Amino acid sequence: MIKLLTGNEAVALGAIEAGVDVVAGYPGTPSTEVMLNLMAKRKELGIHMEWSVNEKVAFEIAAGAAWVGKRALVTMKMSGLNVAADSISAIAYSGCTGGLVIFVADDPGTSAGMVEQDSRYYAKSMIIPMLDLASQQECLDYMKIAFDISEAIKGPVMLRSTTDISHVASLVDINGQTGRENKKREAHFERNIPKYTKAASAWCMAQHQDALNRLTYALDTIESKNYNKKYRINEIHFEPDSKYGVIYGGAVQGNLLEVLNRYNIKVNTLKIGMVHPLPENLIKEFLENKNIEKILVLEELDPIIESEIYRIAFLLNKKVEIIGKLNNALHYTGSYSFALVKEALEVLLDSDFNNQDKDLEELMPILEEAQDLIVARPTSFCSGCPHRGTYYALNTAIKNLKYKKDDIIVHGDIGCTILGMNKPFESCWTEVAMGASIGMAQGFKWGGIEKPVIAAIGDSTFFHAGIPPLINAVHQNAHVCIIILDNWWTAMTGFEENPGTVHLKETDTKRVDLVNICKGCGVEKIDVIDPYEPQKAIKVLEEAIKHPGVSVVVSRQECALQAQRRKVSLPKYRVDIEKCTGCQICLNQLACPEMVFHPKTEDHKAYMEISVDCFGCGLCQYTCPFGAIEVIEDGK
Amino acid sequence: MGNNLYLVGVGGQGVVRLGQIIAAYAIEDGQKVRLFKKVGMAQRGGPTLCEIRIGEVSGSRIPPLSADLVVAMELAESVKALEYVKPGGNVILNKSRVYPIHIMTHPEKYPGEEVIEDLFQKTGAKPIWIDAKKIASEISLPIAENIVMLGAITLLSSFDKELMIEVLKKNVPRQIEKNISAFLAGYEIAEGTQI
Repeated sequence: MIKLLTGNEAVALGAIEAGVDVVAGYPGTPSTEVMLNLMAKRKELGIHMEWSVNEKVAFEIAAGAAWVGKRALVTMKMSGLNVAADSISAIAYSGCTGGLVIFVADDPGTSAGMVEQDSRYYAKSMIIPMLDLASQQECLDYMKIAFDISEAIKGPVMLRSTTDISHVASLVDINGQTGRENKKREAHFERNIPKYTKAASAWCMAQHQDALNRLTYALDTIESKNYNKKYRINEIHFEPDSKYGVIYGGAVQGNLLEVLNRYNIKVNTLKIGMVHPLPENLIKEFLENKNIEKILVLEELDPIIESEIYRIAFLLNKKVEIIGKLNNALHYTGSYSFALVKEALEVLLDSDFNNQDKDLEELMPILEEAQDLIVARPTSFCSGCPHRGTYYALNTAIKNLKYKKDDIIVHGDIGCTILGMNKPFESCWTEVAMGASIGMAQGFKWGGIEKPVIAAIGDSTFFHAGIPPLINAVHQNAHVCIIILDNWWTAMTGFEENPGTVHLKETDTKRVDLVNICKGCGVEKIDVIDPYEPQKAIKVLEEAIKHPGVSVVVSRQECALQAQRRKVSLPKYRVDIEKCTGCQICLNQLACPEMVFHPKTEDHKAYMEISVDCFGCGLCQYTCPFGAIEVIEDGK
Repeated sequence: MGNNLYLVGVGGQGVVRLGQIIAAYAIEDGQKVRLFKKVGMAQRGGPTLCEIRIGEVSGSRIPPLSADLVVAMELAESVKALEYVKPGGNVILNKSRVYPIHIMTHPEKYPGEEVIEDLFQKTGAKPIWIDAKKIASEISLPIAENIVMLGAITLLSSFDKELMIEVLKKNVPRQIEKNISAFLAGYEIAEGTQI
């Protein structure tokens, strides 16, 4: 049977078919949908799955399950790998007894912001075998292989995807799949101090050696199970009449095959699906081919395979010209488009494939003309978003305290919170990493910023990595004001749950209140505000900003999109056109997507309209100096 | 090189849904298909993009000058698709406009239909215009703008009309009769342009 699946859907299916016993993850583009797809089947599968508080904890949940012999999966984006790295590295040295797969998705071209990091380095530095996905089919197949390898070598295996794999759908052959493997694994853990602790240098070095040995076992396993033949993990193709070679790995495969096919090019190829440890023998075989004089190395992000090709060519004393990043032919950034791969092959073959470039050149002036016509669509808060109220109140409080907007530095944080950097609020100045706003704010104070410094952080981000810097701020008595924008959900990535979530459906999880956490951390000045009630919120924020020490303001109101799903109904508003002067103060201060401005025409004066989709946050009524906005339905 | 469809619009117009229906059609028709949808903040009035590649292709994205059909659900967004129109390829433009705030207050900054028509003409394409919002409203199903466009797409891509209606029935559970009316209206408009 064939199904249209995105890479992430196929990864999830692979995990189910591999008989995964425990799954944990933290949301992050482009990895999120793996868990979402698994979570949708949580009841049916009857296994433990969770959105953990952060990636490090998620990994530890999975690793714990794997230490007692179960098959466990953890999912995260590349930034999450940095968070989890400490524990991953330690577990990689110890190994495990059950199958442990770490799924990580990189984002070349940064479709969702954040660092454009290459997670393949981690496989090398933490001594973990890594499979690199090159198609949606591989997402399904390699997940199962990853579990097999992990169990065989008794250590974790990484499965790495990229945006072009995770977010693209293609037909995946799920034929011959037998459904979920229903192997019952008993939970068992053997006491083995030298293996499971780090408390002696001799043990640590032995563990280091064990980890290195597992890399060899991984290659042996692929060999003995005949995976290269069955699944084309690493595959060599020789073209008898070609002196050119292409070595590639990852998502670039699609565009490469398309270029080769479209221009009917025949070259020697080496596909590398196992990026760590590299299939050194195959690379040698490829390089030792006497016909090959010139090689192109295609891999998105960093020249990880490429550097190794140089090394192996040097060892073989092979004279070969290598085209890639290290000779500045290709760039490190962005995803590799069809056009880029085509250009690279033109360099390799030293020829122009057709006159399409000329067509594009002719198009350039038209495209430039078109550039001026593009209508910018800046992202702002959704209709009814509570963050709109929080930033409105914050900006007003700053003004009321006689500061200019440029006087007060507000550190934003990851998630919807950072949209406060955009117009019309322009409150946030920085965005670094999960939870970093609170630590950075303290650094700014100790660095000598005399005026108040503020950190604005979302609830999920706070739970994830905001608590240690909060404890630090209390301990050091840093004069920072921390605003926690608590909308109950991990909203930016698609409304995943977090410890503070009030669930829509019945759940067996327990809610953790972040106000209690702050109190427990020793915060003395703590207030809860309702962002839909700006008058009160402004006063509280003014006091919090002035407070000489750590102050926390929890701005609490559920994400409006989720509140709508919960069928929360608020009063609806309309504009009294008689009273409306068309001044646009409401629009300029709030940028609410439900406001429709009608400029003056011969038939009517300028006025504002509120669309029927108004959620009813009521902020506009507060901003209108003419009392032109009124309630039309009480919402009950 | 397969049949490449490049769809643009803004969040809420059903661009991705449209792409999914076309992909479902291709599968039903026994063809290979690849689907790319831009994820991000499109849901909130941001730009959306969906690429459907039917047939023997292996790349995930449509290369420049390679779209057999370009469809713009929103007028100004159409300019972003200019570079993808294949020489001799078809273009369907919806007259619908979605104004971000700065355009609401300064609508004169929004490009007119003539300007856009002119740009596409310069690339050698002859766009087909559809007022999908008007048609969908006439059927009293304003949300079915994308299904009106699907009708036109079906004709211009030489998809099987009856099979597409079957796929539509499977993929649009509610208000199916009205959706089919919307589909047929779009189909007929496209037919009218082909005479």
